[in-house]
Formats: sequence, structure tokens, C-alpha cells
Amino acid sequence: MSINVLLVEDSPGDVRLTQETLRNSKLPITLHVATDGVEAMSYLRHENGNGQSPRPDFILLDLNLPRMSGREVLAEVKGDDDLRTIPTIILTTSDAEVDILRSYQLQANCYLTKPVRFEEFETLVKSIDDFWLTKVKLPGRGNASD
Amino acid sequence: MKKKSFLSRMVRLAFGLAMLTLLLMGAVSYRWMVISDDSDRWVRHTHEVLSNIQDLALAMESIESATRGFVLTGKESDLDAYRANVARVAQDQATIRSLAVDTTVQQIYIPQLQVLSAERIQRAEMVINLRRTKGFASAMAAVASGPDERDTEFQALIGKTLDKELLLRTQRVARTDGYLSQSKTILILGILLGISITGIASWAAVHDSDKRAAAEESLRQSEDNYRGLMEAAPDGMVVVNQAGEMVLLNAQAEKQFGYRRDELLGQKVTNIIPEGFAERLIADGTRTAAEALAQQIGTGIELIGRRNDGTNFPIEIMLSPLESAEGILVTAAIRDISVRKNAEMHLARMEERYRGLMEAAPDGMVVVNQAGEIVLLNAQAESQFGYRRDELLGQKVTNIIPMGFAERLVADALRPVEVALAQQIGTGIELHGQRKDGTAFPIEIMLSPLKNSEGILVTAAIRDIRVRKAAEEHLAMKLEELSRSNRDLEQFAAIASHDLQEPLRMVASYTQLLARRYKGKLDSDADDFIAFAVDGATRMQQLIQDLLAYSRVASRGKDLLEISSEDALRQAIKNLGGAIQESGAVVTNGSLPNVLADESQLVQLFQNLVGNAIKYQKGGTPHVHISAVMDANRKWTFSVKDNGLGIEPQFFERIFGMFQRLHKREEFSGTGIGLAICKRIVERHGGTISVESQPGQGSTFHFSLDATALKSQQDSEVVLCQ
Repeated sequence: MSINVLLVEDSPGDVRLTQETLRNSKLPITLHVATDGVEAMSYLRHENGNGQSPRPDFILLDLNLPRMSGREVLAEVKGDDDLRTIPTIILTTSDAEVDILRSYQLQANCYLTKPVRFEEFETLVKSIDDFWLTKVKLPGRGNASD
Repeated sequence: MKKKSFLSRMVRLAFGLAMLTLLLMGAVSYRWMVISDDSDRWVRHTHEVLSNIQDLALAMESIESATRGFVLTGKESDLDAYRANVARVAQDQATIRSLAVDTTVQQIYIPQLQVLSAERIQRAEMVINLRRTKGFASAMAAVASGPDERDTEFQALIGKTLDKELLLRTQRVARTDGYLSQSKTILILGILLGISITGIASWAAVHDSDKRAAAEESLRQSEDNYRGLMEAAPDGMVVVNQAGEMVLLNAQAEKQFGYRRDELLGQKVTNIIPEGFAERLIADGTRTAAEALAQQIGTGIELIGRRNDGTNFPIEIMLSPLESAEGILVTAAIRDISVRKNAEMHLARMEERYRGLMEAAPDGMVVVNQAGEIVLLNAQAESQFGYRRDELLGQKVTNIIPMGFAERLVADALRPVEVALAQQIGTGIELHGQRKDGTAFPIEIMLSPLKNSEGILVTAAIRDIRVRKAAEEHLAMKLEELSRSNRDLEQFAAIASHDLQEPLRMVASYTQLLARRYKGKLDSDADDFIAFAVDGATRMQQLIQDLLAYSRVASRGKDLLEISSEDALRQAIKNLGGAIQESGAVVTNGSLPNVLADESQLVQLFQNLVGNAIKYQKGGTPHVHISAVMDANRKWTFSVKDNGLGIEPQFFERIFGMFQRLHKREEFSGTGIGLAICKRIVERHGGTISVESQPGQGSTFHFSLDATALKSQQDSEVVLCQ
């Protein structure tokens, strides 16, 4: 049973880099991509032809997005009784103090800054894979490592 | 005074009336005498007329009877009586004519009487002639046929004349009686009037003298008062009469002039005031004494007084008139003004000196009184404002400084003028001056008060600050430009570094991915090209990150707080952990103080400096020592001393610039921004950074930070890390 990850990211380069990095994972990961906030919410609420989309086990969310920002998406998700249990990790280029504080206030589960160097990015994605997708027990899935 | 004169006027009037009455009575008596005399004369006159007329009638009878006697006798001697009576008739007629000359009626009767008597005498003559020539018979016949009616006519005329005369007499007597009774009445009334007027006058006189006594008493009283007032006066007082003699003086006057009172009383005032006083009391051709005096009353006249010992001193006299029994006296209040005169002279000298100082001043100087009028100015002020001196003196200062100056001199509801002024003294006030041609120019005025006899004057030093203003404006403009360009630059750096970073991350990431996935799978050229691309992208990323860090010194800086510089150094050493371990560096420090700083920036500062010290080495064990001393300006000077390569003096400045490198990349990596960031951090903290070094002898970097408290700390060596 594969792990469904929703990646909300408008930069195709970053999407691809994440995909490339996760390709080496030992786990069967299915990456779903939304390129802006509106798309992300449609996916999560099964709207606009997303009727059969699987509920993600995990959300990787960029903050700077067109149409609807990552902060708004975060607020919607954490304000929704059904969706709020999905672990949501902020993955962004911003290292501004206000963004970090605001995100945790909106109950983000984790805040990560995209590293500039490829190796570091690779390490970061691997550590997400290693920690959040392997060690952490996610709701409704029992022990992920089994 | 008024009452008294009224009374005396009444007394005078009463006596005048009495006199007039007496005169009137005299006149009436005299007239009475004249009238009674006249009437006597008339009575006598009438009697004379009457007796003459009767005598005339008698004489005529005698002529008739003498004629008849001669006819009977024919004796010539009998004619003597006849002749005598003819003469008597002529005599009587003449007398009557002369007496009756004043009564017109008698003048008519008397000629008729004359005619009739002449006719009778003529007939008698004719009878006498007949007797002589024709004898007795014819003469007798003539007598017998005589005209009897003529005789009767004569008798009637005599009777008429007598009646007339008697009537006249009665009328005259009646008139005289009338006059007399009138005169009697007038005399009686006159006497009564005289008695009553005399009574009134006596009463008035008695009353008046009572009043006069009372007035004299009050005058004496007021004179006593006046004397008392005089003695109490602070000034010398001298009372002088119209002759210029002193009649009264007070103790102060004695003291002033050094005389005893009795030495001065009755003496000429010119003894003590030789000139200018006595002259003022005297009438001259154009004015009376009263006018002469009136012109001087109340005015302070400055004269010279002469003391008993002959010395002179300046006085001021004030005159006032004093009416007295002896005429108008003049009271002179005499004030010794030698102190004031001296002060005035002193002041005049001071003013002269002040004027000299004013003219010597480099600034325009204007002295203004409380009314805002210019009372003094110097040549510089003339040329500044383009006016001639006489065009400004006495004019309102608002003519040359329209706003902000005059207002400052004026008291308002909240403060008196002294306070208003005191608040402005010494402060440089920037205002606008206005030249004669209407152009305005910026000025700075400095006010200072100047007390003189006219009150507080204000001296304003006026400086033309056009040049300074222009320089200030230029400076402010440049400063604004500079800060704008700085802001632009910072914004540019932040935006550039952040926005450039994203695409660059793509370039770098994918070239690295490329390198990893295809290394050795393509030809060797492709491997080289990929390696260059990776290197370039990586270096550019580093540059951008450094640039961002540099720009963030200002944009992400936090407030300066009191922190421990030692803690900051420890944190920096911890961050440098890997490099220190690798190089085996020995980092030591003296006692480090608390300073006012942004902690994370101080950490970065230490990290960059210690990091450089470890990095630029020739191969031995790096030794780094950090210490701090307080300088005279209460600033801490930190020193970071190493045993590294050292720097040549010509690069001391350049190394703190952006992207300045002294070494090839192959020798030492780095973008050359570390020290630029250090400089920026130190400058943001209000300090300076510098280096002293000799190549091969190591370098010492100094930077200064503000102290938080006066705490002298001993420099003790502590090994922190090895």
C-alpha cells in the first residue's frame, strides 16, 4: 500500500527535484501535485473532477503560491475537522521569522526551508522520507514501517 | 475766597448807594433853594409892576388936575406940578417896559397904555396953550368938551393890566408851592432810604468782618499745613515772592545749600540759584508775570545750585504758584540731581563705547525698543538691508524683519516682557530679513537685552545666513539623495539576492543532478563542462547569499541591548567548531565586558574575524587572542589578534570593501564579503573597525562598541578551546 503525498508547489523544477529525490525511497510513494492553493483545496475536497482522488497521508506545502497562498491553504486545512489530522509540512524558500511564526500559529506540523545546494535539498527530502514517512505513525495507517 | 469777595462787594455797593442818596438829596435841596429864590423874585417883580402902573395912573390924575388949576388961575407957577407929573409918567412907562419885558400879554397892553397916556398929555398941553392965548373961557370949554371916553379907556386898560399882573402872580405862587411840596417828599424819602442803606451796609460790614476773620483763621491753618507739608517734602522747597526774595524754605533746602534758614529768608533767590530761576518769575515785554509763571509750572527745569561754600551742583526745580495775601508766591521744589547727572554721563559714555563696539561687530546690529522701533544700528546692518541709517532710525523693525522678531519682544497674557525676552536671549533664531528693494534673505538673529534709561532695549545681532542656508539645503539634499540611494541599493540587494536565488538554485541543482547521473557516461569534455557549470553556479549562489547577509545587517538588525560579549564569542567559537577542530587552533580571550549590541550580529562579527584568523594561515597552529580595553570616550575597543599571514599596509583599507580578495581562489576560498559585513555591523553599532598588521607577523583587528556601564575589568588569560 503506497503512501499518498500531496505536494503543493508551483515551481516545476522543484516538483521534479522532489520527485527525483523521492524516487530513491525504499517506500512506495505516490506523489500528487497541485500547482496552486485552489487546486490543492479542490484535490482535498474531491471537487472539480477530483472525485476519486485518494486522501493524502501527508502534505508538503509551499507558502508562495499563485491564486491562493500556502498560508490560506494551511488555515483551511487546519480549520477543517476532517482534514486537520493530515500532517502538513511547510517547505519554502522563505526563512522570514514572521512566516515561521505564522505557520506554527496555524498549526503547521513542521517548517522546513528549501536549501540552496542540491545536496542539502537531497538530504532534506531524504530526511523527510526517513522521518515523516518511515518513523512517524500517521493516522489511519497503523505502523508505517510494517 | 469767593464768599469773602461777595461780601465785600455788597458792603461796597451799600456805601455807594448811601453816597448816591446823599448826593441826590443835596441836589434836591439846592433846586428847592433856587426855586424859592426865583419865586420871591417874581413876587417882588409883580409888586413893582403893580406899583408903577398905579403910580402911572396917579401921575396921569395929577396932570389932569394941574391943567384944570392952571385954567382957573392962569398962573404960570401952577404949571410946575404939571411938568413934574409928565416927567413922572415917562419915568413910570420906561420902568414898566423894562419890567414887563418877559410877559407877552403885558407887552401888548403896555404900548396901548403908552399911546393913551401920550394922547392925554397932548390934550392937557393943548388946554394949557388955549388958556394962555384965548383966555379962560375957551380953555374951559375945551376942558368941558374933553373926551371922557378916552379917560374911561385909559382907566379900563390900567385895570386890565393890573388884573393880568395879579393873575401871573397867583400862577407863579401856585407853581412854586408845587415844587416845594415835591422837594419835601423827595427829601423825606431820601432820608428814609439813606437810613436803611446805612443799616444794611453796617450789617454787611459786620458780617463780612466775621467772615474775614474766619477766612483768616483758615488761611493761617492752611499756611501751617503748607509749612508742615513743605518740611515733610523729600526735596528742598523754597517759596519766593515776585521780587525774587525767599519768604519760606524747608530744612532740606537748608541742607542742600548749606545755609541756616535765617541766612536765607528775605534774601534774593539768586544767592542760591544764580541763573534761570528769578528770571522765570518776571514779566517781560511779551507776557505778564502770571503768564511767565504759567509757562514754567510743573516743568522740570535743570539749573545749577550754589552752596554756601561756593560750590555748584546740578539741580532740577519744579515750580508751582501759591496765592497769598502778599500776591502770587512761587514754590520751587529743588532736587539735587548730581547722582543722576553722573549716571547720565556714565551712561552716555557707556553708550558711546557700546556704539563703538557695535560698529566693530562683524554682524549687522540693530537696537530696538519695547515699541519695536529701531533706535540704533550699525553700518553692517545698513548694508545688509540696503537702507541708509536715517531711513531706519525710529522706524518699526518689522520693516526689515517682517515676522518673528517684534513678536518676541512683546509681553502677552501669560508672561511679562522680561520673561518673554528672557526666553529668547542667546538663542539663534532663524528668520527672514527684507531689503529696501523688497527682496528677502535668510537671517539668524541673536538677542540680548540692554537696560537703559528708556527701559529695556534689545540688541539683535543679525547674520546673513544665505551661504550657510544654501550649504545646509545642499547638504540636506545630498543626504536625502544618499539615503535614498542606500535604500534603493539595499532593496536591490535584497530583491536581487532573493529572486536570483530561485532560478540559480534550479541551475545549480540540475547541473549537479546532471553531474551525478551522467558523470563518466558522456565524454570527458562533457564532464569538464558540467564541472565548470556546477562550480560557477555554486560560487554565484555563495555570492548571492553573502550579499543577502550583507544587506540583512541593516534590514534584519535588531535593537541594541546590553549583552555579554563573552557569551557572543563563545557562540561564535561553537559555530566555528569544525574549522577550529580541523586546524587545531588555540583561541584565547581576556575578560570581556557587557556591551550594547545586537547579539546575533556580534556573534557573526566574532565568527567572521576568528574564522579569518584561523583560515589565513601559513600552516602552523593558529593562535587567536581576543581582548577588550576601555578608551577615554567610554567605548570598548576589542582586539582580535592572530599569528597568521598578515596583511600589507596598502590593503588595510581595501580589505573592508565588498568582494575584495587578497588571495587566489585556489589558495583560499571565499567571496570577499566577510570583512565588509564586519565593517557594516560595527558601523551600525556606532563603532569603527581597523586593522594593524605586518606581513608574516600576524594581524590584529580592532573594533569599538559602546559600553553599558563603567566597569573596569582585568585582562586575564583564559584558554577556551584547543
